Amino acid sequence: MADGRKNYFDPKVLAGISNLALRARWVVEGLMSGVHKSRAKGFSVEFEEHREYSPGDEIRRIDWKALGKFDRYFIKEYEDETNLRAYLLLDASASMNYASDGITKFDYACTLTASLAYLILKQQDAAGVVTFSNRVEAFIPPRAKRDYLTQILHALENRGPGGETNVGKILDDIAGQIKRRGLIILVSDLLDEPAQILKGLRQFRFKGNDVIVFHVMDPAELNLPFDGNILFEDLEAANLRVMTDPRTIRTTYQQVINEFIADMRKQCHDNAIDYQLISTATPLDRALASYLSWRG
Amino acid sequence: MSVFFLYPAFLIGLLAASLPILIHLLNRRKLQRIQFPAVRFILLSQKRISRSYRLRHWLLLALRTLAVVFLVLLLANPIFQTGAGLFAGGGPVSLVVLLDNSLSMTWSSDGNGFKQAKDAARLLISALNDDDRAALLPTNITGKENVRLKSQKDVLTRELDAIEIADGTANLTAALEKAYELLSEPAGQKEIRLITDMGLTGWDRFSVAALKRVDPSIPVKLIRVGRKEQPLNGSIKEIRLGGQTVGVNLPLQIEATLSNFGDKEIEDVLVQLSIDGQNKEQKLATVPPKGETSVSFQTRVGQAGAHGGQVSLKKEGLAGNTVTGFTLDAQDKLKVLVVDGDPQTSLVQSESFFLSRALNPAGEQGSSLFLPTVIVPDALNSAALDPYQVVILCNVAVLPDAFAANLQNFVRQGGGLLIFSGDKIQPDNYNQKLAQSLPADLREKKTGPEANGEKIDKFDLAHPALQIFTDPILSDSLKSSRFWGYTRANPRGKTALISLANGDPLLLEQKIGAGRVILVTTSADRDWSDLPLKTAYLPLLQSLGQHLAGGKRGHLDAGTPVNAAKEISLPPGFVGKSLRVTKPNKQDTEVPIVGEKDRALATITDNDRAGIYRVVLPAGAAKESGAPQIYAVNRPFLESRLEEISERELQAKLAPIRAEVIPIEALKEGGKRTDLALPLLALLIMTLLAEGWLGQRF
Repeated sequence: MADGRKNYFDPKVLAGISNLALRARWVVEGLMSGVHKSRAKGFSVEFEEHREYSPGDEIRRIDWKALGKFDRYFIKEYEDETNLRAYLLLDASASMNYASDGITKFDYACTLTASLAYLILKQQDAAGVVTFSNRVEAFIPPRAKRDYLTQILHALENRGPGGETNVGKILDDIAGQIKRRGLIILVSDLLDEPAQILKGLRQFRFKGNDVIVFHVMDPAELNLPFDGNILFEDLEAANLRVMTDPRTIRTTYQQVINEFIADMRKQCHDNAIDYQLISTATPLDRALASYLSWRG
Repeated sequence: MSVFFLYPAFLIGLLAASLPILIHLLNRRKLQRIQFPAVRFILLSQKRISRSYRLRHWLLLALRTLAVVFLVLLLANPIFQTGAGLFAGGGPVSLVVLLDNSLSMTWSSDGNGFKQAKDAARLLISALNDDDRAALLPTNITGKENVRLKSQKDVLTRELDAIEIADGTANLTAALEKAYELLSEPAGQKEIRLITDMGLTGWDRFSVAALKRVDPSIPVKLIRVGRKEQPLNGSIKEIRLGGQTVGVNLPLQIEATLSNFGDKEIEDVLVQLSIDGQNKEQKLATVPPKGETSVSFQTRVGQAGAHGGQVSLKKEGLAGNTVTGFTLDAQDKLKVLVVDGDPQTSLVQSESFFLSRALNPAGEQGSSLFLPTVIVPDALNSAALDPYQVVILCNVAVLPDAFAANLQNFVRQGGGLLIFSGDKIQPDNYNQKLAQSLPADLREKKTGPEANGEKIDKFDLAHPALQIFTDPILSDSLKSSRFWGYTRANPRGKTALISLANGDPLLLEQKIGAGRVILVTTSADRDWSDLPLKTAYLPLLQSLGQHLAGGKRGHLDAGTPVNAAKEISLPPGFVGKSLRVTKPNKQDTEVPIVGEKDRALATITDNDRAGIYRVVLPAGAAKESGAPQIYAVNRPFLESRLEEISERELQAKLAPIRAEVIPIEALKEGGKRTDLALPLLALLIMTLLAEGWLGQRF
């Protein structure tokens, strides 16, 4: 049974499942079957707006105080009956379209995003999705409706990777659009200027959001396991190419990449941002587990 | 200090040293393209490591190349040698020691060079191990010597002791050829050591192309016998006769040319002339640096025949050959009977006056090669011709019968007859009495005014008696003579030796038996020509006289160089016989006489020592041919030149043979040989380990 469960999260197995919904469900159900279901904490009844009563509305929702003021019937609208609003920000730049063996970073990130959305919605929290490259490609505001997953998955499936990454600027833009505090989950390879990325993330933090960064990387990006003379062409910048024998730079490359990761981790930590480095070879349950651990 | 290889053929493997570089270049050409997201990190890594990486990369390439080089060198088995390197390690040695025993070794290293060379050879012999073999060869060889490699040191030492300095130049071609022949058998190590003074003359004659056998893999090590400082260096270049002939008791002028090879003036060198072992004359001479000086001696020889002589130099510290020999063939007096057909009270008016003075200019007995006796025609009947070599008839009108018969008999037996015409001569009498003895039929006399005299148009310079006119002064003098009276003559099939401008013959010759008859169609005095007043008259008369007396005999032979062949030409009748040659060391050799074209020839090749060689000819040969009975053999002049060949010139001359020059002092210091195989193996292992370690770092 343990082996069977393990298969749920194996990226190679997931890569064989074309349906994202099925993939997300499989991951989450697999995960949830192994943990105790926790009770929802509290019940959020945050007022959102008034609207005029129309026949069919529940009588108990009529705001009697407003009737006294305006002599008209108003119904109190509550945003969501949830204790969390989560924004899943998915990097859909061209650099995400890379797989050294099996699943691309984008597919992995999509599955992760979908799984998180499913998990969040299943826990009756609100989940929204933003996909971006060097601009916002799709913006699905968070909702706590159970059937909202369909819209999220639709947004994810409709968009393939492409364009250059500009994480810093995009985070700035998105931070401007998000009015209410919540949870920000960034799923990206972070191949941008670290200072810009962190500046964007800090914007969320300033506004009181919690932030989780899933740094998705292919194992080849971490280890550079190639041999022979190779001309490396960048997936985003067409004119960026370099010829080398990876054996000669492997150690240094690993040093450089580890320094980059360590720097990101440290900066995130300093700004109370939860940072998770996820290799596409890593089973998805570990990524979800890190979310669950944050969620408490 | 040098390195040589036991198996140099493996060195071709050094080409494999280029393999790592070729592989490196081929790898660069195999390029794979990969699209990758984190290229900027690759760039960053490359920048960070580029310097140290490049260093490691080239270091790795160098290590791989070095590994191949070390492996190839290891297979070739190098031997490191310090000093002159005696033999230790590297397997059994086959060694040929060439000892320069050319004449120049006499003066090398202040006269000690040859001894030093022998000591060096002795040292080499003593350093041989039991399984080594060696041969000892002097450079002055013919190449036909029977020599073999041997391991008995005592035999080699005895052979070494027996080698002496030769009088000739080193025959390096024959010596090296012999050495290669000896070393053609398989051996662990093969070497040729040439102990030499590097004399330029020997190497001037050497050419690798002339070697019939060469093995460039066998190194030639030259052990150089040096000089402390440049000595006075000169020798006798040439000895020649100053005058025309060599006659008994006649003044004899001998000139010697001295040559100075050095940069220092040779001052007051004593030059001595000796003939037949007697010191005749000595002079002091000074020879300028790199220059020449002539020294002239005046002397006489008292006896006819062959004489041996020498010119020698005496000067403290003079290096170079100081003695040069020569031989003289002195001619005895020629007795000439002059018949004056028109004697006068006044001698000057006599027909024979100018002729007698031409044969004996000083008029004293013994001062000339010729001893003329003048008689008048009346004495002809009682004249005995036997004591004379030549009879000259000057304007003798008629020939008495008995005298004519005697005269023809005299000529047939080898006597010479010279007939001058004149106004008294009766052509018919001559034509009748001398019949076939005359070279032409005499005809009428032709006379005219002096101003209309004919000049000489042409003369036969190839004739032995007329070769003196190759001298332009004498030639011009003869051509300027005018002939206004002469007897016309019809040559009997003979071309005139001298002709007038109108084509009439002036001088004709006829050979009768063993003798000769020369007819001059003009007079001997001034009656018909002005020839007696010309410079050409005396040499013409003397030359005709010598020719009629059997040819020019008195001469000087400056000799032949050591090891050069001496040829003696004899009449054809001596083919199949032999002559005996006695060398200066009293050693006799028989030389066969062989036929060559229309003559018999004896070629004497065994002239390996300087000095006077005596020849005993077959009976009768000396009289018939005038062949020499002695000849001189001299040391080669250039062998006295102590100039050395430079190391660079030598190596260029010996290419492709590997040559190395070692000072003789280095040999004395001993030296050592080390087999480099083990150190190379260690180096190879270290290189491979370093390569492996460095290769892991990439």
